[in-house]
Amino acid sequence: MSERNPLLRWDYVVAQRHTIIAAVIEHVQLTLLTVVLGLAVAGVLAAVALRWGRARPTIGAATAALYTIPSVAFFGLLVPSTGLTRTTALIPLVAYTLVVLVNAILDGLDQVPPAVDEAAEAIGLSPLRRLLGVRLPLAVPVIVSGLRVATVTTVGLVTLAAIVGQGGLGRLILDGLRRAFWTPLTIGALLSILLALVLDAAFVLLERRIAPWSVRRPASRAGAA
Amino acid sequence: MTDASRPAVQLLAVSKHFPDSVAPAVEHLTLAVPRGAVVALIGPSGCGKTTSLRLINRLIDPTSGHVEVDGRDTRQLDPIALRLGIGYVIQAVGLFPHRTIAQNIAVVPRALGWDRGRTRRRVSELAELVGLEQEQLGRFPDELSGGQQQRVGVARALAADPPILLMDEPFGAVDPVVRARLQQELLELQARVHKTIVLVTHDLDEALTVADRVALLDRGGRLAQYAEPDELLRAPAEEFVTEFLGPDRSLRRLALLTVDALQLRRGAAVAVGTSTHDARALLARDGGDWIGVLDDERFLGWVRGTALAGEGSVTEQGLEAPAALVGPRSTLRAAMDRIMTARTATAVVVDEGRFLGIVTLEDIRRALAERAG
Amino acid sequence: MQLELAQAALPRDITLAEWLLDPTSWTGSSGILPSLLDTLALCSAVMLAAVVLAVPSAALLAHLGRAKVLSAWLVNIGRAVPTFALAALLVPVSLRTGLGFEPWPIFIALTAMALPPIYLGTYTAVSGVDRAAVDAARAVGLRSREVLLRVELPLASSVILTGVRVAAVQVVATEPIRAFLGGDGLGRYVRDGLGQRNDTLLLGGAVLVAALAGAVGMVLSLLQRAIEPTGVRRLRPSVRSTRIATAASDLRTDPDTAPHASEPPGALTGAMTLTDDERD
Repeated sequence: MSERNPLLRWDYVVAQRHTIIAAVIEHVQLTLLTVVLGLAVAGVLAAVALRWGRARPTIGAATAALYTIPSVAFFGLLVPSTGLTRTTALIPLVAYTLVVLVNAILDGLDQVPPAVDEAAEAIGLSPLRRLLGVRLPLAVPVIVSGLRVATVTTVGLVTLAAIVGQGGLGRLILDGLRRAFWTPLTIGALLSILLALVLDAAFVLLERRIAPWSVRRPASRAGAA
Repeated sequence: MTDASRPAVQLLAVSKHFPDSVAPAVEHLTLAVPRGAVVALIGPSGCGKTTSLRLINRLIDPTSGHVEVDGRDTRQLDPIALRLGIGYVIQAVGLFPHRTIAQNIAVVPRALGWDRGRTRRRVSELAELVGLEQEQLGRFPDELSGGQQQRVGVARALAADPPILLMDEPFGAVDPVVRARLQQELLELQARVHKTIVLVTHDLDEALTVADRVALLDRGGRLAQYAEPDELLRAPAEEFVTEFLGPDRSLRRLALLTVDALQLRRGAAVAVGTSTHDARALLARDGGDWIGVLDDERFLGWVRGTALAGEGSVTEQGLEAPAALVGPRSTLRAAMDRIMTARTATAVVVDEGRFLGIVTLEDIRRALAERAG
Repeated sequence: MQLELAQAALPRDITLAEWLLDPTSWTGSSGILPSLLDTLALCSAVMLAAVVLAVPSAALLAHLGRAKVLSAWLVNIGRAVPTFALAALLVPVSLRTGLGFEPWPIFIALTAMALPPIYLGTYTAVSGVDRAAVDAARAVGLRSREVLLRVELPLASSVILTGVRVAAVQVVATEPIRAFLGGDGLGRYVRDGLGQRNDTLLLGGAVLVAALAGAVGMVLSLLQRAIEPTGVRRLRPSVRSTRIATAASDLRTDPDTAPHASEPPGALTGAMTLTDDERD
C-alpha cells in the first residue's frame, strides 16, 4: 500500500503540475483579494473611528467579535444564502482581517509622537495635510506589520475555504483526504505552509525597507525623546 | 507696508477658560509685543504662558477679548494662513521623523506653494544661518543630536521668513551646556534677522538673557509685571514678582549689566616717561597703593607706589601684569568674578588693547545702588 | 482505503428549531451531546498539553532573560503555519505510524496553534514584572527559584491567564475543522450539512459551533476574574483579547534588550508588533 500511496509521488506531481500551479495561483489571488478588501474596509472603519471617536470602542468590539466566530461556522452560515461561491469564502476571510487591520491603522496613527503632530498643526498644516502628509506616513510601519499578520493568517484560512469549494491549495488537501491519496494532500499542505512562510518573510524584508528614517542610532534616541 | 510703531502682536483683554477646569487659564491679559522685540513669557507652571502663546496663532481661540497680529484681529483670519505666516518652535522640536532635514525645513515653503528651486535655495540659506552642515540636509532627524535638531526646528520656523516667531520652551529638551550655546546663537541670529519673537520659558536666566522684555505671569494667567529684564530685577512691581525672582536678584542684575554701562574712571594711571614725582603725587591724590602705566593708550602693567621712590621717570621695567582684565561688553558679574578670582581690588577695562579705565568692587556696588532708583 | 464516517442523517424538511428541540438530536452516537463532549475533551487535552509545554519553559527563559530573539522567531513561525494544513499533513504520518486517522493530527496541530499565545503571554508577563519588585525580592534574600515562583509568577499570573484564555478560545473555534480531517466533534454537522446539502444541519451545526466558542470565551473570562487575586487584577493590562499580540512588542522594548530595541521594527518580531508604544 505504501508503495502505491507514498506521502509524495513525483510522477503524480509532474502529471498534475498544471492543477497544482492553478491551485497556488488561486490561493494567492484569494489571499491578496482578501487583504486588499480587508484593508479597504478597515480604512473606512478607521476613518469612522477617527471622525467619531465615540464609535471607536464599538468598532473595536465588533471586529473583535467577528474574529471569534469559528471559521467552520462562519463559512457554514453563509452557504445557504451565498452558496459555494467565492463570495462565501471572501466574507469571512475579509471579516477576520478587520480586527488586526483596524487596530493597526489606529494604533499606527496613535503612536505618532504628539510633538510631531503638534508641530505640524502649529506651523500651519491643514488637518488633511497633517493626516496624509505626517500621521499616515508615520503609521505605515505599524500598518504593514498589521498587513503581515493579516496576510499570513489569511493564507491559512484560505486553505479552509476549501470546505465551501474555494481556496486553491485547500482543495488539494481535501481531495487527498477524501480519496485517502496522500500526494495531493501533502503537496497542498506543504505549499500552503510554504506560501505562508514565504509571504511572512517577504513582509519582514518589506518592513526593513519601509522606514528609512528610523535610523538605529542609540545615541540619538535620548535627544529625540 | 507695516506701521513700525504698531505692536506686531497684541493681546487685548484676553481670557481663556478651558471647559474642564474651574480656574481660567488666562485672565484678562493685555500685552503688546513691539515689532522686532524678543518677549519672554515666564511664570510658575499653570500660569497660562503656553496658553497665551497658543492664542497668538489660534492653536486655541480666546473665550473673550481678542488677539491682533499686525493690527488685524486674528479671528478675521484663516487659522491655517495665519500659522503659515508665523514661525513656531516647540520644546520637543517635533521634527517629522520620516522627512529629511531639508524636507523638514521646506515644509512651510512647500505648503505655501513655492517652486522647487526657490525652496532649495532657501533651505540651504537657512542651514547656513542656523549653523547646519549642508551634508546634514539629506539626513533624517534621528541621525542628529538634540542641539542640532533644535537648530533644524528654528530653521523650519524661519523657512518662509515670517516676521513673527513663537517659541514654546525652545531649549527645554537639551542639556544646560547646549542650551546656553543655543541661546547665544538665537541672540546672534536675532541680530541678523530682526524678528518679533515671543518665547515661553520656565527658566528665569533664559528669559533675562534672551529677552528684551519679560512678561511675568502669575497663576491663572494674570500679568504681574511686564518690563525690561533690568527693570524687573531692579524694581519688582509686587510681592509675587520679588518672590519669583528669588533672593539673588542683585546677582542676576550683575549678569545683565555690562562694564561699558558704568562711568569708567581712569584711576591712577600715568604714561611711560612720567616723572616719579608726578606719579607719586597722582597716587597720593588717588589714595591707592598701585599706579597703572600706559604706553599711549596701551595698558602696560602696574607699579607699586613704594617702587617710585627717588627721582627719575616711570619706565617699562618691573611692571606687574594686570591680574584682572575685562572688556567693555563683559558683564559686571564677570568683572566681579575676575576681581575675586585674581584677589585684586581692581579690574582693568581694555577694548582691543586700548585702555578704557578701571572697575573696582566699589564701582560695581555703586552701579547697582544707583540703578536701584 | 476510504473514510468511514458515521453521517448524521436528517430529513431535509425539518426546521432548525425542530432539530435542536428534538431530544433525540442530542443523544445517540452521533448526537449533539456526545459530539460536544468529544470536542470539549479534545480541547481540554490540547490546552493541558500546551500549558504544560509553554508556561514553564517561557517562564524560566524569561526569568533568565534568555532566548528573546529565538522566542520571537518561534512564535512568529508558529503563527504563520496554517493549522488545517499542518493537521492534514500529519494525517498520513499518523496512519503510517499506526496511530490511526484520529485524533493525533488535529491534536498536534491545535497544540501547535495554542503554544504561541500562551508562550508569548507568559514570556512577556514574566519579563514585564516590575524590576523593583524583583530587586526587592533579591535584596531580602530570596533565591532565584523563589523569585520566579513567589514573585514573578504571581505578579505575571494575570497576563499569563489572558494568554491561556485567548489560546483556549482559538482552540475551541478551530477544533471543528477536525470534522473535515476524518474526525467528528461538533463540527460534524456543518460537514454533513454541506455534504448532504442540508441547510438545517449546516446552519444548526454552525450555530452550535459559534455558540460553543462564544460560551467558552465568556466562561473563561468570568473564571479568570474569579480566580485572580484582587491585587493582581488591578495589574491586568487593558489588553483586548485578540490583541495579545501587542504584548509581544514588550519583547523588543524590554530595557534589557536595548540593542534589540533599536532593531528595525519587524526585523525578527515585526508580526508581533501590532502596536508599538516605545519611545517614552
